[in-house]
Amino acid sequence: MTHAGPSRYDRRTVLQYAGLAGVVGLAGCTTEQSGGEDADAGDAGAEEPAPDVYRIGMVNSLTGSLADFGTYNERGVALALEDVNASGIGGVPLEIIVEDSESLPDAGVSAAQKLVNQDQVPLIIGAVGSGVSTSIYESVIRGTDVVQLSQNSTSASLTEYPGLLRMSPPGGPQVQVLADLIADDGVGSVAVAWVNNDFGQSQRDGFVDAWGGEVAYDSPHDQEQSSYASVVAEMANSGADAWVFLTYQEQTAAMLDDAYSNGYEAAFYGSDSAKGPSVLEGTPAGALEGMKTVEPSAAIDQANYQDFASRFESAYGEAPTSWSSFAYDCVITAALSIATADGFTGAALGGTVRDVTRSPGETVTTFSAAMDVISDGGDADAIDYDGVSGPIDFDANGDPVGSFQVFEVVDDAYVSRGTRTV
Amino acid sequence: MAVLEYLANGLVFSSIIVLASIGLSLVYSIARFANFAHGDTLTVGAYGAFVGFALIGDVGPTVLGLPGGFYIAVAVGAAVAAVVAVVTQRLVYDALEIGAIGLLITSIGVAFVYRALVILGFGTGSLRYAVPAQRPIPALVPIGVRITTQEVAIIVVATVLVIGLHLLLRFTLLGRMMRATADNADLAQVTGIRTAQITRWTWVIGAGLAGVGGVFLGLYNQVEPRMGFNILLVVFAAVILGGIGSVYGAMIGGFLIGMIDQLTPLLGDLGIPIGTEYSYAIAFVIMVLVLLVRPTGIAGGDPG
Repeated sequence: MTHAGPSRYDRRTVLQYAGLAGVVGLAGCTTEQSGGEDADAGDAGAEEPAPDVYRIGMVNSLTGSLADFGTYNERGVALALEDVNASGIGGVPLEIIVEDSESLPDAGVSAAQKLVNQDQVPLIIGAVGSGVSTSIYESVIRGTDVVQLSQNSTSASLTEYPGLLRMSPPGGPQVQVLADLIADDGVGSVAVAWVNNDFGQSQRDGFVDAWGGEVAYDSPHDQEQSSYASVVAEMANSGADAWVFLTYQEQTAAMLDDAYSNGYEAAFYGSDSAKGPSVLEGTPAGALEGMKTVEPSAAIDQANYQDFASRFESAYGEAPTSWSSFAYDCVITAALSIATADGFTGAALGGTVRDVTRSPGETVTTFSAAMDVISDGGDADAIDYDGVSGPIDFDANGDPVGSFQVFEVVDDAYVSRGTRTV
Repeated sequence: MAVLEYLANGLVFSSIIVLASIGLSLVYSIARFANFAHGDTLTVGAYGAFVGFALIGDVGPTVLGLPGGFYIAVAVGAAVAAVVAVVTQRLVYDALEIGAIGLLITSIGVAFVYRALVILGFGTGSLRYAVPAQRPIPALVPIGVRITTQEVAIIVVATVLVIGLHLLLRFTLLGRMMRATADNADLAQVTGIRTAQITRWTWVIGAGLAGVGGVFLGLYNQVEPRMGFNILLVVFAAVILGGIGSVYGAMIGGFLIGMIDQLTPLLGDLGIPIGTEYSYAIAFVIMVLVLLVRPTGIAGGDPG
């Protein structure tokens, strides 16, 4: 590609902007028209670009090392769509085009490119892995009006992208809670095994900053190594009292399996990503006994969460994870921002997506309650959606507020040990 | 003390790499292309054994911490891998009239197909063989070696297979015909060897060994759809280090690469700030250094 000639990509981008500008212009017209009292209904109908269906995109980890999260998300999204499409957004149904990120940045970027360029969605829910989310933002979203709302990313690095919103609270406070928890358990020295990417690095940095004791082992490992025996051997030889896993389920399972067959004993701790059914299934019975993890907590004592949880249980036969509730709230937030925006464009949704989640406005906890307020002529500032995952309240950096729940493995099952805040 | 432990880990990991490397090198020696589907052949073997073990169950006496049924399942895994490889060879590689590069690229596609089929059948999650979980052999723990009897089984079976292959290649008619075909297929055919048949046997042995390697990799680590693909790069390094096309080279290369990989923590213990995340990088640097001195690899030029 030379700098002199206009490239094909440039032409396409220009066309896209032209199209977008046209749509925005059109939306502007409509607002102006309906702004004039008693505008002719027939005319307004002809101009209104309200589509038959609102299509938004989602990049999810259907396969790869975060596939557990992909399932959590699918379930949360299914329940949210049920709620939204019971009445629709002003009668128009919401549809979500889901693409797989394979839990990897390059595949995630391709998925997002397809959604933005081909399906032309104005809003993308995505992604799970923090590295995937930031790659999508940097390669696809930045410089466009498209709104990106990550469902599960917890890396501190997302805070540096104010344009990239997320439903799950950042990992900074989370690893701080983890460090406090380990200190409260009377542990003096820790071995920290972290996954060699954005997510692992930021969790490790946050943890080591918050941790007051000794760090006897502090090394990264790659995803999908064929053997973790040397990592485990080094952790054991470091003589640490506690092992902290700032990595994913698959790697945690492989390492704990090795630790068990090598007969190593230590207190195990982990971040949210080191917890999951695949860790229990991937290790011998009893290998995880006493392992404690910290994860962002849903609003477990709120009525809307309890309703969500009971519906979730009857649909899937198990209690929802926080991750499902984040995905649920992503969809509801997206639907509410569509309902309050004056056009189905990225620019219009970008203007409302934060405001529907925070004050001022009447506190609403369900989609239908929010729609009641909106249909009485309310705009984005008229509502403050408190979701099943918590109060949300997006700040200037696109981060929500949150609390954290502690789990402990007892008899090969995760048992809640209450919530903690920073 | 820790050195002994790393060596024990290295022995187990090397056993798996050696089994995988031999198959890759054997196929290269006859079919003359780098088979990128070889890694996924390991995966096929591992899943084949998973199904086999589920059907057979815990029959027979327990040998080295593994039920007799598991050893049958290992054979099932090897057989499934061999059948899949031979069917692929007949339907895909044989049918294509393209050169080594074309076959190489085709094999990448075949690898995707294998993996996709495994994911369709078993999902993307990881599985464990339903064998009893084990703790290290207590007698060895005081000297710093933490190894389970199942890991000993991996080393023993791999050693038996390597010796068996050596005997086959050196002392049987099939072995001589395989070596002749690998050396010069046209000359071998002129002397009356049915090279097509020999090629098929080579695929069976190569893929069968890969299947066993896959089962052991699954036993040692986890059974998951990308397991074989993830180890393929290391296996290629082992084969190239040993001299591609040479079976004995693959054995030496596999052993060295597996050992180097698991001995990486020694650097940290000696105060050299290179972590285990560089274990593959170190293995590759050593491979490059050896190739600089011996461009054909350790045993390159030996028709094996």
